[in-house]
Amino acid sequence: MEYSSLHRQLATMKKSFFDQGFLDEQFFQIEELQDDVSPNFVEEVVTLFFKDSLRLMGNIDHALEKFPQDFDRLDSLIHQLKGSASSIGAAKMKNECTVFRDFCDKENQEGCIRSFQKVKKEHACLRQKLENYFQLLRQVGPVAKATRSGN
Amino acid sequence: MLDSEGAAAAPEFPVGLRVLLVDDDPTCLKILDRMLRKCLYHVTTCSQAMAALNILRAKKECFDLVLSDVYMPDMDGFKLLEHIGLEMDLPVIMMSADDHKDVVMKGVTHGACDYIIKPVRMESLKNIWQHVVRKKKNESKELDNSGSLDDNDRQRGVVDEGDNASSVCAGSWKSVKRKKVEGKDDDDDDEAVEEHEDPSHAKKSRVVWSVDLHQKFVNAVHHLGVDKAVPKKILELMSVAGLTRENVASHLQKYRLYLRRVSMPQYQGRLDSFAGCQDASYGSVGLIDSFNVHGLAVSTQIPLQSRTSIHPAPRSNTNVGIGASTVGQLGLIASGAPPNMVFPSVQQMNKQMSNTRGSSSNIQSSQLGQTPSVVQPYGSMSLQFGEEMPNFLTSSQASNFSLPGGTMSEQMNKSLTMQQTHNLQQFSFSQPRSNISILHSSGQLLNNNASNSSRFSSALMQQTSSNESSNHILGRLGITTNITSSPANYMKSSFSSFPQDLYVDAQSSFMNELSGNSYPSSSCIGVSPQTTSFQSLGSNNDLKGKIENVPGFNTINEHQNRSHEWKLQSVNIPYQTDHIVDFEQSNILSHSSLMSHHNTVATVSNRDNNSSVTVKEEIISLSNDIDVEKTTSFAQHKNANIDDDSIRLHYGVGPDMSYQDVLLDDIQNELMTVVGNQDPC
Repeated sequence: MEYSSLHRQLATMKKSFFDQGFLDEQFFQIEELQDDVSPNFVEEVVTLFFKDSLRLMGNIDHALEKFPQDFDRLDSLIHQLKGSASSIGAAKMKNECTVFRDFCDKENQEGCIRSFQKVKKEHACLRQKLENYFQLLRQVGPVAKATRSGN
Repeated sequence: MLDSEGAAAAPEFPVGLRVLLVDDDPTCLKILDRMLRKCLYHVTTCSQAMAALNILRAKKECFDLVLSDVYMPDMDGFKLLEHIGLEMDLPVIMMSADDHKDVVMKGVTHGACDYIIKPVRMESLKNIWQHVVRKKKNESKELDNSGSLDDNDRQRGVVDEGDNASSVCAGSWKSVKRKKVEGKDDDDDDEAVEEHEDPSHAKKSRVVWSVDLHQKFVNAVHHLGVDKAVPKKILELMSVAGLTRENVASHLQKYRLYLRRVSMPQYQGRLDSFAGCQDASYGSVGLIDSFNVHGLAVSTQIPLQSRTSIHPAPRSNTNVGIGASTVGQLGLIASGAPPNMVFPSVQQMNKQMSNTRGSSSNIQSSQLGQTPSVVQPYGSMSLQFGEEMPNFLTSSQASNFSLPGGTMSEQMNKSLTMQQTHNLQQFSFSQPRSNISILHSSGQLLNNNASNSSRFSSALMQQTSSNESSNHILGRLGITTNITSSPANYMKSSFSSFPQDLYVDAQSSFMNELSGNSYPSSSCIGVSPQTTSFQSLGSNNDLKGKIENVPGFNTINEHQNRSHEWKLQSVNIPYQTDHIVDFEQSNILSHSSLMSHHNTVATVSNRDNNSSVTVKEEIISLSNDIDVEKTTSFAQHKNANIDDDSIRLHYGVGPDMSYQDVLLDDIQNELMTVVGNQDPC
């Protein structure tokens, strides 16, 4: 009972991620890659993403402090972050990156700073959610591999 | 792997497809890596473009496909794409989250096989193998085209058909060459070759875009306006019989792409001759020439008219003039490709010409005078290429050419062969027409990878050898080189039978024996001439040092490696030029012996030992100078790490080749000694 309750909890959690737009289809792709050969693939990738994205965001923070602003560089940095986010299916974060990029195109420093705050917020939010998710996943055990269909 | 031979336990394609994955984003890299492995591909990851290039340069033949991100910190993905296309001619797929049309278009124009939008899905990766198949198919199709010419020519065969018949191509090349050599009188215009071949072939003959034809094309296009030119109108303006609207349309497409590239400053000169490098057809014979000519006008500011102005003597004019123009072209080509190769051979040509015709000395000097000037602009290029030469040379995996770089070598081969054929013509026929036809024929022949190298080598060989034998040599060499220089897959099928046959012929040619039946591997032939050519171009020291052995050397290796994949277990890795510098090209040249073909298979390590490269070369001594040969081969192996497996000395044994055999034996012994003293990489 405990097991299936956890199972259900897991499924519900995951479903909410998708419903609320935190994650998108791409996350399923990642999950598909997990198998016996790479049993913790999803968690590994997500961990890697959050670690690397912190680095990218630090670069952007530095870049935003510069004056006069080098929007080309900023654009390329945010492009990197966006690509990274999209690769794991971090939908909301990706969207915020797009907004940021638009401001960048318009060379709107203010807009960039504001939207970047949102990017960071989404980043933190998703990170928390996924950390909870994986924690639960670990509790459920290897058998309870998250599946697309959920329960 | 597409190759079936040798892979006894090879899983079914596309399982095991060897992919090089380049992406600076670690998350993407990890995900893609996993995805590709799930497709059962063999993946090598790289987070930096430079590292990827180095890997490819070192182990080009170890990969079937490259998957690269567009935006990378150390190098633009498109630049990497260019490099790969030029040096290794591997299919490259670009990836990016950027789906803007212009970026995707950039990928297309730079020659990417595909452009995948990120985030990448498994489905997108499952079918990437198609690009590998397609590329190989295109290459073999080109070979087939040239092979189709053969049927027509066989009738006219004068040269003995005794050469190795291991491959259809061999025969076709030979016959084609023969045809070119003998039947030039018939050719009136640019499509002569095409017309000749058309009737007898069920297969569609490729249009040979000779210099003149392309010039007509360019004139027509510019008259109409590059952007407004339509194939139908171009065709009308050109008023060339036998040319179809489709021919013009495809040529126009390629020309436009070429112009786009040429207009990019950083690619200027460098890419001139690479126009259309990316795909086989693009780099086909006629196109390259034309582009080169065009490029000449564009990049070197040497007016096309200057070609003829160089040659005062009317008689020589036809020959020399053409030669000069060829030189110009070659020079152009050289701009993209190692110029040294072109010029030295030209110079050799000139020398030869003077030898055979006293009256042409003036022209020669003028030509020589010309060449240096043409060379000058490319000095930096050669340098540039110098270091990249090995890459070019070694890139033969899916390439169409045996000489440096995929397209590049093809072009160069072509130009060289053209040049050579011209010379040949000069010697033999002294007919302007024949020159043109040679151009055509060489162009056509050059369509095939093999043809390029064969032409090249044959042409070069002819230079150094006497005129009488040139025809024969041409034919023989053509075939030989053709075979050997063909793309890996092609070679694989026929290579095994080549070595013996190949060498003999070349040797006999050199010996002025017309009875030789085998052909040196194209790569060998290509190598020798090139190297010797380089030497002859004394004024280009930089070229000398750098390019000397690279072209042929690498190509040989590549081809050897590829074709021998099933034969040799050791990895054949293109080597870096550095060590090759030891190669004593000048010796070979000074002895005026035909190029020595290096067919020794050995592993050569980079001087820097940064990347260990195993180069398999077969040293075939085609030179009459045994010492030179030995020196060369020894020098070659000095720095080589030789794999026992890879040591193969193939030397044809012709009827009169006993001397050659001895030579080769010596070389082999020396090699073995070297091998024994070195640690394989």
